[in-house]
Amino acid sequence: MIGLQYGITALCFLAFGFYLMMVMRWSIAYPHQPLPEWMGWVFTDGWKARWLQDGKVTGETYNMFGAMHGTIMVFLGIVPLGFGAFGNYVTPLQIGAPDMAFPRLNMASYWIYLLGGLIMCASFFFESGAAKSGWTNYSPLAGFADGQVVNQWLAGQTQWLIGLVCLITSSLLGSVNFITTIINLRVRGMTWMRMPFFVWAMLVTGFLLLLAFPPLEAAGIMQLMDRVVHSSFFMPSGLFTKSEGLADLSGGGSPLLFQHLFWFLGHPEVYVLLLPAFACVSEIIPANSRKPLWGYKSMVYSVLLLGFLSFVVWAHHMYMTGMGAAVSTFFQTTTVLISVPSVVIITAMLISLWGGSIRFTTPMMWACAFIPMFGIGGLTGLPLAFNLADLHLHDTYYVIGHFHYVVAPGILFGFFAGIHHWYPKITGRYMGKTLNHLHFWPSLICMNLIFFPMLVQGMAGFHRRWYNGGDAYLSKAADSVNIFGNTVVQHIDMNIIMSMGAWTMALFQIPFIINLFTAWKFGKKAEGDNPWHATTLEWATPTPPGHGNFLKEPVTYRGPYEYSRPDCDSDFLPQWTEPKHLDFSEKPTGGH
Amino acid sequence: MEIPYVVTPRKDTGLFNSKIAIWLFLASEVMLFGGFFSAYVFLRLGADYPWPERTLPVLPGLINTFVLIGSSVTVVFAWASLKLREWRKFQFFMGITVGCAMIFMVLKGIEYNVKLHHQAMKLKDYSVIEGHLGVESEDGKPVLDHKGSTIEENLIFVEASKLTFDTVRFYKPWVEELLAQAEHHHSKVALAADVTAITKVGQPAETIAKAGESLSVELLNRIRAAHLAARSHNAANRTEALRAEWVTAKAANPGKKGWQIASGVNIDMAALAPTLLGEISTVSFSVDPPAKLDFQPRDIKAADGQSRLRDDTVVDGKLLASPMVFHHIDAIDFQHLVMKAKEKGIDPEVAIENSWLMKNSTFVRDAWAWHQGEIKKLSAELLQAHGVGKDGKPRYVPTHKELYRIGWKDLAKMAEDHGRAKLSGVDAAKEEFFGPDYEARGDETFPGFSVPREQIGFASKFTPAWNTYYAIYFTMTGLHGLHVIGGALVLAYYLFFGKKMYLSNPEWLANRVEIGGLFWHFVDLVWIFVFPILYLM
Repeated sequence: MIGLQYGITALCFLAFGFYLMMVMRWSIAYPHQPLPEWMGWVFTDGWKARWLQDGKVTGETYNMFGAMHGTIMVFLGIVPLGFGAFGNYVTPLQIGAPDMAFPRLNMASYWIYLLGGLIMCASFFFESGAAKSGWTNYSPLAGFADGQVVNQWLAGQTQWLIGLVCLITSSLLGSVNFITTIINLRVRGMTWMRMPFFVWAMLVTGFLLLLAFPPLEAAGIMQLMDRVVHSSFFMPSGLFTKSEGLADLSGGGSPLLFQHLFWFLGHPEVYVLLLPAFACVSEIIPANSRKPLWGYKSMVYSVLLLGFLSFVVWAHHMYMTGMGAAVSTFFQTTTVLISVPSVVIITAMLISLWGGSIRFTTPMMWACAFIPMFGIGGLTGLPLAFNLADLHLHDTYYVIGHFHYVVAPGILFGFFAGIHHWYPKITGRYMGKTLNHLHFWPSLICMNLIFFPMLVQGMAGFHRRWYNGGDAYLSKAADSVNIFGNTVVQHIDMNIIMSMGAWTMALFQIPFIINLFTAWKFGKKAEGDNPWHATTLEWATPTPPGHGNFLKEPVTYRGPYEYSRPDCDSDFLPQWTEPKHLDFSEKPTGGH
Repeated sequence: MEIPYVVTPRKDTGLFNSKIAIWLFLASEVMLFGGFFSAYVFLRLGADYPWPERTLPVLPGLINTFVLIGSSVTVVFAWASLKLREWRKFQFFMGITVGCAMIFMVLKGIEYNVKLHHQAMKLKDYSVIEGHLGVESEDGKPVLDHKGSTIEENLIFVEASKLTFDTVRFYKPWVEELLAQAEHHHSKVALAADVTAITKVGQPAETIAKAGESLSVELLNRIRAAHLAARSHNAANRTEALRAEWVTAKAANPGKKGWQIASGVNIDMAALAPTLLGEISTVSFSVDPPAKLDFQPRDIKAADGQSRLRDDTVVDGKLLASPMVFHHIDAIDFQHLVMKAKEKGIDPEVAIENSWLMKNSTFVRDAWAWHQGEIKKLSAELLQAHGVGKDGKPRYVPTHKELYRIGWKDLAKMAEDHGRAKLSGVDAAKEEFFGPDYEARGDETFPGFSVPREQIGFASKFTPAWNTYYAIYFTMTGLHGLHVIGGALVLAYYLFFGKKMYLSNPEWLANRVEIGGLFWHFVDLVWIFVFPILYLM
């Protein structure tokens, strides 16, 4: 139930974050033109008068939307959807637990998350507006932003920090709960190596959240101190901003310290986003290709390694800070290393398809699209891992293209797959096929229409923070902005194609929303409790699972992906089915 | 199905649920404090000013260390008593634990309080003095501010004749504050001129407020409402106009891209003007007669003639001399000045001789001369005790801090050398907790001193703002203090409200106390690390 609350809330935040991006894309594609009515109707006249100039998106507003788009998508959308919703709903079921270990803590975690999100978004209505220093909130920029606001507690930039502390608290409670549940509430027979890969991925995600978020909380507290009691943690000596209305700082702090603490979270955070998508897809592929997950053990070891390595790659976001060649080399090495386990996992998924009797069900379509889309995202990251290539590509649209390929068509597709896959468990009905086609194909095309040109633009030197899409650089385009033989003027018209793609994609999310709600009542009824003929324990529960999840405590007899076993009549052998002949290897062990 | 392993441990893991949870939570806490410890290292190694070493009084911190260690022992006794089902003993030991937490917080409170009232100031030439800010006096009597209290802040004074508020951004508490200050000086703050604006399209301008109306938040709110309504109306009209211009421009330039024609698309403001309303972005009030208003330096961009506050309020008037008046100074510190001098290759002695303080204060000159003698004595002692090394130089020499900082204990010793009576044992012990005792030691030991505004580089109380050392000190000890309070509240809850659970399920209560005790040990452990790095190193 809490899983569903997480899911619905996260989807709402995702929609909001998407909307912010649509406004930004207007300013990029059509600079100097007033925002059209079909996007602007959301705002009140007063709000428009404050934040739009003659109806045009100003740089300040663009920055605000950009910062909040990133923040909302990462912290309020994807993490709660992947970890909060899928993790919460599926994990206890898959290990045969009646509930999470601490149900009340779970509820508190949700409410604190919602509170944090609302605090952040409420600041849109303040005189100062919401945070506008990027989702990374770098000091000293973020330390001074909104400095003109006398009561700093009412500045968007401060509210962002307070919201963030709430979100960190929420994910701390969540991760403690998850890990405890997985360690202690596994049913009889559910040994470590019989856990579905989903549960492993959630376990690692839990540890990442548990250990990576606190340093950011430390950074957040220090930045809060900088803003509210005027300390200089991140303020270097010699900064003089009397003209901005703020002055009188001791200085002596270090802006680089903030970046280190931020990215110590920031990089594991990427895997916090990604692993739940891996988790969903790795459940869906075996069930729909009727084959065991290929290389289950190597995937488990890879995900553990991935979790560990994600803690030692953070400074690859900081090659341009001048931290030194030796440090950069270290992080370059670890960054290249971390691609190995990711590739192992993706390869294992791909091989799992080989020779299977694939059923192109609705979740399977999304899962199949996930692999190449995430693949592009991952591979375009490699040039960024190298110092030298990064010199050219840093802070360009190439970076934007790279990580959006990972997150939008990658992770989000994984989540759509998950929604379709577990929908029959939640409601007892399938989501509609026609509406799904109407959602899937346009989304797939539009995603590539939006993000592929970014890679091209990035290599041509388009800076990621141009609020007018490079318009201001046209006059000197022929000589000054010239990377890899490209100029701004050659690629500026791509902006329009990309923006059109984004708005079209928004349109084709409507079939999904209709599908999500109508299928609840009118969808095709699922045949029994295990409609996909899957093997993991969540399909042993009644539909929907009631209080306590299982009617009687299940027992696990075997590994999670026993499909197409030659010694079986049907093509799947669920974990909970009692063996006909007592096979020693299938004796339940552990537990009780 | 019920949730298993709430009270009894699971066999293969050997743990009950909440025990796993607390260890995970503590792991996360380690990372949180780890973040701060790393920040400490980063800031200290990267500091471009003399890091204050061993600057805090050790005694209160040391007592607190033992208080916490003691409480960690008693919390274990409390848990063991529960395991043995001895409720009275549990109450006794848990009572001591919670009591220790209170002692800790009281000592911490005293420590904080002393710092928050102690002023430091860095001059433009990087010499530093510390002490207490004094009272402005006129005719031998202290001047009181509008709240009736003596002025002990670092303030900037302006003889204001006119106040101009930004109608959107004015900050309500400041308006009230300025009004109260003006009244205190028997000045009247009233609208300088009629506020008029077109509030309906096509109508003549309307008077919103009359000249002479006195300043109030309500009046400003009324003007703001008119302004915002006009702003919204005008913005909508301008947007419409721009949209129309774009339609025309696109029709006139078929096949051209937006960016090719953008520079030619402009709103015809002259044609639009009749449809617009009057915006009132600022509103001015006269202060009659001009009143001496005071401002915190952080809030004002001060300039003679016209100053600006952080909420964009413009203050017209003469900038008055606003020296920082130290009632007592209790430390003179040339460490930063010497550091800067060395960076520039200037001889430290010369830099000190040329500092503003040495040139303008006989007390500082005397203290410095006395201090030179002390340094000579110290060097001789070190040479005698440790001898010379292989290179023929003394093995130990006075540290940078000893060489260039004259702290309050040095000043007290100087006064004693000059014949002032020593403080009794009790008073001297009190100074360890509360800082120098100005009353007992008198003005000769800690004299008053005034520094003109133009010499001030940066001034602050000993708050997180003073430097990154105090920032990390307050943040780490503050966060640790919050953990102490949180832990103590939980333990106190078991102490005062645990009886019911003790009677129904004592093992469960013992588990909870065990969890609380684990947390308490962690809090203790953090302090074991915080204490040396902030107090001793």
